[in-house]
Amino acid sequence: MSNYMLEVKELTTKYITRFKENVYAVDHVSLAVEEGKSLGIAGESGCGKSTLALSLMGYYFPPLHYTSGEIIINGKNISGMDPDSVRKLILGKEIAYIPQSAMNALNPTQKIIRFIEDVVHAHHPDASKEYILELATERFETLGLPPNVLEKYPVELSGGMKQRTVIATSVILGPKVLIADEPSSALDVTSQKKVIKMLRDMMDKGIIKSMIFITHELPLLYNVTDDIMVMYAGQIVEQASAKNAVFDPLHPYAYGLMGAIIVPEEGLRDVSLRAIPGVPPNLKDPPSGCRFAERCKFVQPECLVNSVLMRELGNNRAYRCIFTEEELREFYQNDKK
Amino acid sequence: MKHTLGQIFRSPKFLVGFVIFMAILLLVIIYPLFVTDNPLGIIGQGTFFEPGIYVNVYDSLRSPQYILNLDNAAINRIASRLGDQERQDMKEWLIEYGVPEDEIDIDDTESLMELWVNNYDSTIVVPGMTAAKRKYYVRLDASLEGILATEGFHISVRNEETGDLDEVGYVNQKDYVNVNQVANVRILPLGTDNFGRDMLTELVAAIGVSLKIGLVAGLIATMIGLSLGLLAGYIGGWLDDIIMFITNLFTVIPSFVLLILISYSIGQEQRGAITIAAVIGLTSWVWTTRAVRAQVISLRNRDHVNLSKLSGHSVLHIIVADILPYIASYVFMALILQISSGILAEAGLSILGLGPKTTEVPTLGLMMNWAMIYSAHIMGKWWAYFPVIVAIALVSFSLNLMNTGLDQVFNPALRD
Amino acid sequence: MLQAKRGMAVFSNCQSIGGAALKGYLKYFGGKLIWFLITLIFAFLLNFILPRLMPGDPVAIITQRVVQGMTSQTGIQKVYEEYATLFGTNRPMHEQFFLYVRNLFQGNLGTSFSQYPRPVADILKSSLGWTLALQLPAILVGWMIGNTLGALAAYVKKGFDKVLLPASIFLSNLPAFGMAVILLVIFGVQLKWFPTSGGYGFDMIPKFSWDFIKSVILHYQLPFWSIVTIAIGGQAIGMRSMSIYELNADYVKFARFLGIKDRKIIGYVFRNAMLPQITGLALSIGTMVGGALVAETIFSYPGLGSTILTAVMGQDYPMISAATLLITLMVLVTTFLIEILYGVIDPRIKAAQTD
Repeated sequence: MSNYMLEVKELTTKYITRFKENVYAVDHVSLAVEEGKSLGIAGESGCGKSTLALSLMGYYFPPLHYTSGEIIINGKNISGMDPDSVRKLILGKEIAYIPQSAMNALNPTQKIIRFIEDVVHAHHPDASKEYILELATERFETLGLPPNVLEKYPVELSGGMKQRTVIATSVILGPKVLIADEPSSALDVTSQKKVIKMLRDMMDKGIIKSMIFITHELPLLYNVTDDIMVMYAGQIVEQASAKNAVFDPLHPYAYGLMGAIIVPEEGLRDVSLRAIPGVPPNLKDPPSGCRFAERCKFVQPECLVNSVLMRELGNNRAYRCIFTEEELREFYQNDKK
Repeated sequence: MKHTLGQIFRSPKFLVGFVIFMAILLLVIIYPLFVTDNPLGIIGQGTFFEPGIYVNVYDSLRSPQYILNLDNAAINRIASRLGDQERQDMKEWLIEYGVPEDEIDIDDTESLMELWVNNYDSTIVVPGMTAAKRKYYVRLDASLEGILATEGFHISVRNEETGDLDEVGYVNQKDYVNVNQVANVRILPLGTDNFGRDMLTELVAAIGVSLKIGLVAGLIATMIGLSLGLLAGYIGGWLDDIIMFITNLFTVIPSFVLLILISYSIGQEQRGAITIAAVIGLTSWVWTTRAVRAQVISLRNRDHVNLSKLSGHSVLHIIVADILPYIASYVFMALILQISSGILAEAGLSILGLGPKTTEVPTLGLMMNWAMIYSAHIMGKWWAYFPVIVAIALVSFSLNLMNTGLDQVFNPALRD
Repeated sequence: MLQAKRGMAVFSNCQSIGGAALKGYLKYFGGKLIWFLITLIFAFLLNFILPRLMPGDPVAIITQRVVQGMTSQTGIQKVYEEYATLFGTNRPMHEQFFLYVRNLFQGNLGTSFSQYPRPVADILKSSLGWTLALQLPAILVGWMIGNTLGALAAYVKKGFDKVLLPASIFLSNLPAFGMAVILLVIFGVQLKWFPTSGGYGFDMIPKFSWDFIKSVILHYQLPFWSIVTIAIGGQAIGMRSMSIYELNADYVKFARFLGIKDRKIIGYVFRNAMLPQITGLALSIGTMVGGALVAETIFSYPGLGSTILTAVMGQDYPMISAATLLITLMVLVTTFLIEILYGVIDPRIKAAQTD
């Protein structure tokens, strides 16, 4: 029985707008990440990926509120824990988070090493400066970053360097789970590669035990993560291994996503490019039936009636649609003609 | 454009400021239509007349008289003659005389008068009282007797031939005139200033002039700032360097120092309101230049500008068509700020005596200056300076409020 | 001249030692110093030229005053020439300018017209002292309190902010002399807590007695607090906006996500928000001093403000010229010092200079 670093069961969190309306941005999401494995979460902008990332850490502040569900990190159940304890025990220590466009995540008037000192002191107040310097230098070298970066100010570093510094800093305490929110989207291709290599290195060297990689670029996930989850309108709509998700998508949205990207992968090059028309539903007032129905190419009247549950196929496969595997694959066959 | 206007007028801050400003503006425009007097006309002979309704005594004697029987007329008459000092003195005398202190209530005119009338005797010598004080009390008593008298006044006119006084009329204590029937009544809601001018009329005119000065100064400053900022920001290079050099010079040298110097050099004769406005405008363009330049610099590498450049449009065309519309909202806000600071600058200048000529038009600063020089604030003549301050504050406040509202509309990030 | 040479010596010394950071600093400071000198020269020029552009001949005016009752034409002419030579108005402009600068460096600011024959430097010495003693602390205190309040409002948000914001908006729109009059009337006239004019009781002679000092402090209150409250209004709004902006910055969120305590984060935020405020102070000190000077006149406080007022009324242009020059110098020096301070505090300046 492998060790789950992070287990999430039916997590629901909401935003409360200034007009006191509830927007359930994360709706009964369940996922699990094993030790040594990485999970990718893909979806459009606005599907709730980033909110999910925030929710996973257990740190909520208005307007985001925890509603229900369980979060278990390395065996510890942190759901509903008070914010102060979460900051002290969890954030930075058990779970680390890399925000989008991490380049701006550094305090412009602070040297990198000073910031690292603050991070360490927040969890280990007694650590000495020499120890921290040693740890930071060693860690940076391991990850391929020149240690002289430590004595510099953010303004002296390039965009790619800043991003990697942020990543290296966030895992300085060796957390069990690293959540990376679009870590490479704001970079040029070379830097993207470096970032991804860095993330893989961290996994391989055991600096982090597992990783959740959030992005809207599916093909990226194929090369980086072991499993993939596709998210739409606050819900998980498909869950599969990376290979299956990319080459044999079951949920029509996942299928649409694959059709909407240019990928030089074998087997996909001959597929024509199709964008998914329409926009995601307003989560203030989610539709009663399937949430993807109004944009689905293969929609049937039954789709609009009842809300759809996940279909577990075992073997790490699941999807949220009323149609069977075979039916869906047939749709897609006909569609490609 | 229409949508933006709609948003602007829905912003609460802007609306409040706008309403206040419009009210002031309307007052300035409409008031002179009804009250056509010269604002600088001296109507009061004497200084600092209190606010109130001034009824011509001569005309009231000649107006129809009506008899009213009012209960407290006598008390009111006495009460208005007895100031705080007199009451205090009466109380002192009574205490010396032997009346228990707790029986004396100096605010109750009736009982105080009663005690006085019953007890005062000018022949009694109070130990320790100076002769002067004794005589004072005698005078006080005599004047009070005058009040208590029930006789009216006889009106006489001197006979040209005989030299005697011929009685032409009699005024009873119960005779009243209807103010509406008196030929000459002047309402001075804000009294007069030290020269004897009607404060309200003067104030309204002064607000108008100050607004004008502010507007001209603001326009000039904004025009200069806009042009220099555009040139420096868009063309860059050596032109930018020169303009920034000059701008930096003028930043550090305080603008009001320049104002003082220039204003002084022009000399008293040349200082009309518009001249002062021009001077203010010419010395306060620095901030706008900087701000416009910063905006233009951030705009000049935008795609649409590059596209225009590639299309071969002339520099002038690019500036007018591609850059101006984007900074228009910003420039408009800068204009409002310049107007506001222009008004304040004029006020400051005038207080120092370097404002527009004092004989032509009043300005808010000038009115403050006069009030200060003639010590109105120390003498308690609040109507000479307080309305002026309120006017300055309201004008400045409403302009800035409008500006904040506009800022929130144009920069959604600032909305709360 | 001497300063520049000294600067060069230190500079080359550093080169040999190899202190890169120090060299960077010097480059920054050197730049600021040169700028300071250029502006100074420009200020001299302006202060010299502008008053002399005034129409009419001030020497003639003085002569007129002095020769009241004299009838001899040659006599009057002699008096005129004497004054002209004394004030140097009978020489070409550029000669006058060099004379002016030379006199300045000798501390000779000319002779006052309206208080003839008192030298201007004499009159200004005391005024300058009073103004410096009042405005410098007042502006600093107002700046500090204003920034603290603004920062608090941004952090605490709820109730405090709702009170502070409208109050500061109102205060920042009130001109300094407006606040001066309000305070004067409420505390000076109505409540009679403080005296309403002068720098000290007019029955006192300046000396180091406890009575005198007490009187000075009493007279100091109203002018002081007028300037402070207006400064607070202006600063609080700016600091509040800066703080709100910084509080929502990415690095704040990131630091939170790494578990860093709020208290530490607040430290970051306000340090960062403070920096533009320091620059802001440098930029606005010119205007603040202007407003404060007018406030001084309201109280007949014996500082530069009242001096200028009397000088204007007395058509005394050496006095005006000297007073404005002094004010400009005051502002220039303060701005220069603040910019140096900023260079020391903001680590980015140090960093940017070394590469």
